[in-house]
Amino acid sequence: MRSRIYTIISGHFKSWYRSKSNIFWTIAFPLLLIVLFGAIFGSGSTKFDLYLQNQDLNANVPTYYSQGYITVLNNTRAFNLHMVPAEQPDPLTYVKNDAQPHNRGQRLLVLPLGFNQTLKNGGNATVQLYMDQSDQASASLAGIVRSVTISYAASIAGSPNHLFLQQVGIVTRNIRYIDFFIPGVIGMTLLTTGVFGAVNTNGRYRELKIIKKLATTPLSKIEWILGMVGYQLILATISLVVILFFGYAIFGVTATIDIYTVGLVVAASLLFPGIGMVLANFVKEAESADAAANAITFPMMFLAGTFWSRESLPDIMKIIAKFMPLTYVNDGLRDALIYAEPAQALTNTLIALGLAAFFIALGSVLMNWKEE
Amino acid sequence: MSDNLPASLPGQSDRVVQVDKLSKKYGDNVAVNGISFNLTKGEVFAFLGPNGAGKTTTVEILECLRNPTGGRARVLGYDVSKRSDQAEIRKRIGVLPQDFNAIDRLTVRENINYFGAMFKHQLDADKLIELVDLKDKRDEQFKKLSGGLKQRVGLAVSLVNDPDVVFLDEPTTGLDPRARRDVWGVIERLKSQGKTVFLTTHYMDEAEYLADIVSIIDHGQIIASGTSDQLIDTHGGKKTLIIRDAGEEGLKQLLPGFPKAELRNAGDIAIPLHNGELTNILMSLAQTPLHDKEIEVRRPTLDDVFLNLTGRRVSEEGN
Repeated sequence: MRSRIYTIISGHFKSWYRSKSNIFWTIAFPLLLIVLFGAIFGSGSTKFDLYLQNQDLNANVPTYYSQGYITVLNNTRAFNLHMVPAEQPDPLTYVKNDAQPHNRGQRLLVLPLGFNQTLKNGGNATVQLYMDQSDQASASLAGIVRSVTISYAASIAGSPNHLFLQQVGIVTRNIRYIDFFIPGVIGMTLLTTGVFGAVNTNGRYRELKIIKKLATTPLSKIEWILGMVGYQLILATISLVVILFFGYAIFGVTATIDIYTVGLVVAASLLFPGIGMVLANFVKEAESADAAANAITFPMMFLAGTFWSRESLPDIMKIIAKFMPLTYVNDGLRDALIYAEPAQALTNTLIALGLAAFFIALGSVLMNWKEE
Repeated sequence: MSDNLPASLPGQSDRVVQVDKLSKKYGDNVAVNGISFNLTKGEVFAFLGPNGAGKTTTVEILECLRNPTGGRARVLGYDVSKRSDQAEIRKRIGVLPQDFNAIDRLTVRENINYFGAMFKHQLDADKLIELVDLKDKRDEQFKKLSGGLKQRVGLAVSLVNDPDVVFLDEPTTGLDPRARRDVWGVIERLKSQGKTVFLTTHYMDEAEYLADIVSIIDHGQIIASGTSDQLIDTHGGKKTLIIRDAGEEGLKQLLPGFPKAELRNAGDIAIPLHNGELTNILMSLAQTPLHDKEIEVRRPTLDDVFLNLTGRRVSEEGN
């Protein structure tokens, strides 16, 4: 049995590496996407994301001086300000949780309670800026906030020297677009190689009567499926290693390969061929099956957060994305490879494995081994 | 060949295939309608009929690819309907499906080894390559071969487990005449090695040339069985004298003396021959302007057998 499965894997693999178009779509195309998207969006927005918590409210309305300070900040046009609710007791955790899915830097400016009153009374007020010193934007961002603080202090009659900026270092990991993008490209590659691999292999081999021939030998359907999954696992591993190496060499993307990454690669190697097998069963002709595979993979690619964060999608699309298996593979790969969030990675890995079990079982049951 | 023999124990009979009142229905459509036949060890058996006659359905039941809806069939003594027997059958049969292609980007040798790996015991790939005369192409990728060479790879693949019986489903369909002859050569070599071959075809000449036993199937029913000679003698009709390229003018000249003469394709004239008539006809022809035309005596073929039994001919495409 092992020899038969090995033969199927080896047959698929030889067919794969002897086809220039297969090599292009599995390896060269993802790398090309990384170069293009990395070059276009790699440095991110020209404005800095900055979280702001104004604790100095009066009946939920910013006090006079705190509002003035925020207005000056806005007038610089250097920031995308994201407000943190004043009642939020742990603003740093809030920022951490909100920044990652939005692909934003973790930087927080806090206007303390009593800011207005202190300045009015001629006392010393301090605004606090929390940011990671290793953040590439830290020097320029801190410089702009300091300038704002000094110029605003100067504009306050009677209290020119009573407003200070305190910088507080926090340890974060600044996620660039390219860091976000690379796990998405891996997910996309696993999706396309898995779905198209299964659709093309089953469709074409059926047309060429290879499956019919194999069905007259002692080979069982389960051995055939295991062979196909084994081949997908090898392709998935090659894709993962090549893409991560390329990302590191060109863009300095550092990724952590852990048990969840392995789990997700295994899940994807079952899940996407499983979807392909289900498709191949309903669409018998190889050409139509190819079109059906495109119809399934393209929306998934764009809605499941491969190229950009799902947060920017309309609400209805976000709901649809939740039903797409690629969403959990992409999210899981980001949690595991880039964000180092084991708890979230585990959840996504388990969901992906569950979906994988469902689709590979459904594909296996539906696949016609005998002719009827 | 004899019909309706009782089932034998696996491996203890010369009867390699035993089919008894076998039927296959798809809804209301009857693809195979109660057919019976047997195939003996070492025979080349041709299952002859037009497309849609039920040949492939029958052969696929014997290959355990389809389940019959009625009757019984045994291959090498094993029941094709029993799951446990199917595993044994698969180990011991060789199959070349209709329109089979091997894996495009594997070489001839790799393809033979690929399919060989599905069996516990496989023949040496180089010996099979030699058998199908593909030594020069052994390291060529399958996709680069011509149609005839591809079919020879298919034959090698069907023999990779040294099967007790080989099922070849329309092995020469779509090939040019030379490639067909090459495939016939391989089948003749199998025959000389004592292999049992079950061949389906819609080519009458192929069945006549290769087969020991021919069964003609039409609309799911076997309409005649026997050796080619037996079928021709029984159903083929009389020999025919053909006068080549005589045209309508020649027919006009002949009709008074030969009222049964008829014009056929390409201007040939055909005159049915009764016993002892040949000398008289030739002497009479010598007196006509047709005496210098090419003359041939044609023996009936399986084509004539099919025509006489069904009232129609089978086209090149098998329809």
